[in-house]
Amino acid sequence: MDNYEYILETEHVSKNFGDLVVLKDINLKVKKGEVICIIGPSGAGKSTYLRSLNQLEKITSGKIFVRGDLFLHRENDKTVEKLAKEERQKLLLEMGMVFQRFNLFPHLTVLDNIMLAPLQVRQENKEEARKTALELLKMVGLEEKANEYPNKLSGGQQQRVAIARALAMKPEIMLFDEPTSALDPELVGGVLQVMKDLAKQGMTMLVVTHEMGFAKEVADRVIFMADGVIMEEGTPEEVFNNPKNERTKAFLKSILNA
Amino acid sequence: MKKLSKKTIITIIICLVVIAAIVVLNRMMPSQEEMIENASEKMEKMIEKDETRSRKRVTVTYNDLFIVSYLSLSSSGANEMRERFVGFMNHTYNADEGKMKVTGQMINYTYRMLGRGQNMMYGAKLTILLTTLTTLIGVFLGTFLALGKISKRKILNKPCSGYIFFFRGTPLLIQLFVIYFTIPKIFGFAWRDLFDASDTESVYKGAFLAALIAFGLNSGAYCAEIIRAAIQSIDKGQYEAAKALGMSYGKTMRKVIIPQSIRRMIPPVCNEFIMILKDASLVFAISLLDITTISKTIMTSEGSYMVFIPALIIYLIITAFFSFIFNKIEERFSIYE
Repeated sequence: MDNYEYILETEHVSKNFGDLVVLKDINLKVKKGEVICIIGPSGAGKSTYLRSLNQLEKITSGKIFVRGDLFLHRENDKTVEKLAKEERQKLLLEMGMVFQRFNLFPHLTVLDNIMLAPLQVRQENKEEARKTALELLKMVGLEEKANEYPNKLSGGQQQRVAIARALAMKPEIMLFDEPTSALDPELVGGVLQVMKDLAKQGMTMLVVTHEMGFAKEVADRVIFMADGVIMEEGTPEEVFNNPKNERTKAFLKSILNA
Repeated sequence: MKKLSKKTIITIIICLVVIAAIVVLNRMMPSQEEMIENASEKMEKMIEKDETRSRKRVTVTYNDLFIVSYLSLSSSGANEMRERFVGFMNHTYNADEGKMKVTGQMINYTYRMLGRGQNMMYGAKLTILLTTLTTLIGVFLGTFLALGKISKRKILNKPCSGYIFFFRGTPLLIQLFVIYFTIPKIFGFAWRDLFDASDTESVYKGAFLAALIAFGLNSGAYCAEIIRAAIQSIDKGQYEAAKALGMSYGKTMRKVIIPQSIRRMIPPVCNEFIMILKDASLVFAISLLDITTISKTIMTSEGSYMVFIPALIIYLIITAFFSFIFNKIEERFSIYE
């Protein structure tokens, strides 16, 4: 068994775009199997934080640990310490990412979308990859769409395929970047259901979301971010029913009145 | 087997009918001998006499074009004679004046510009061959140049940008001259020496090679810009998704980005193809016998200004044919859009 306390850990993570401070000193420790929902007004830096974990954004300074290993340490936009390339790649694959705009590959069928990375990156054999892909499609309830192109699918179906595609790389952590924000209201439910199932199976999840109902029901911990800072952190009951921070109160009030 | 659409079936039927008609009418085309029978007695006698002589007095030109043929008999010397005929559906029509005169000339010119009875370095065949090869070279070269120009590495980026800047910033005709005349001077070789000296076509083959190199290098620069634009039009999310799945830059390009950009490249590449087709007429400057050169020669030697009309039509037919092909390819790639 691996010897680590937290599967994902960030210390003093900051990010500037020029003079604009997007993230300021974010500290977060995630245990294996934990589901964390990050809420907050737009422009709070929630998505940037999630993307910087996955190296889609470069952090300005701070440390990121994955499974107890120092994955990346940067100060003043310079990398101080990082793992060897292969090690880094391996840890990077422990994080699967689901995007707001799905980003399925339009030129490939649903099945090929899911099989592409396992075949290209993990060099799995084709039969194996196909079997896994079909199982994942069954899990998200889209078996019969295996040979369709993404443009024939609804937004909700596309997002479920995107989840299956991320899962095909067998990640330990799933990062969801506003997975339901680009969907029509009636399609949100199906995606959330898949995410709930995943949470039940013990997947570690970081979810940036505006679905408060989902956060209340599924999250082990809710984080409220504003202006690039974690304002409040706690169980769903604590944050939703007894918010301490003024900003949290204001935000929740505006959401509930909407 | 995929079901054919109604439109496709109709197109196929029309094509088959047209081909059948051409075959039948081609069979009914009078042969050279049959047409000579219509010549005047005087002319026939001269031809008869010619059979036993080594020096011919009558020039016989017989051109057949799909379903019609054209026969021109002319003798030189003191009693100069000229008789011309058009053959169609087992009949031979006199073509010394009137409508048939124009028809006869058109058949004659078209036949010569299509380059029938000559080698590959002649007429429309030359134009099509040069254009097709140029486009292939251009797309191949352009892909690497585009990837180089997109690359953030200066060592790749700068030379590629410079190349594109140079070839787009200078006239194609001068580039052709430099490659055909200047380069051999500097390096001390001749284009025709690259081919077998006993081959009478070696001069043309050398010129063709030079033209192909000049056009290919030039078109590479234009195609690079097309391909770069197509690649950069792909949504940033595609790169991010591939990166999040752990795919390297090279694999992302090969498996995700380039396959998607091909669909977007087809219309501008088709456009580039047609531009090359027309630019190919510049080879008249190095005496390659393409449609343009032949029509110009006919115009100057025979004083016929009608010759440019069939030239235009031939270009138009070639363009239409390739536009059709490119449309079909585009449809093929459109399934997911």
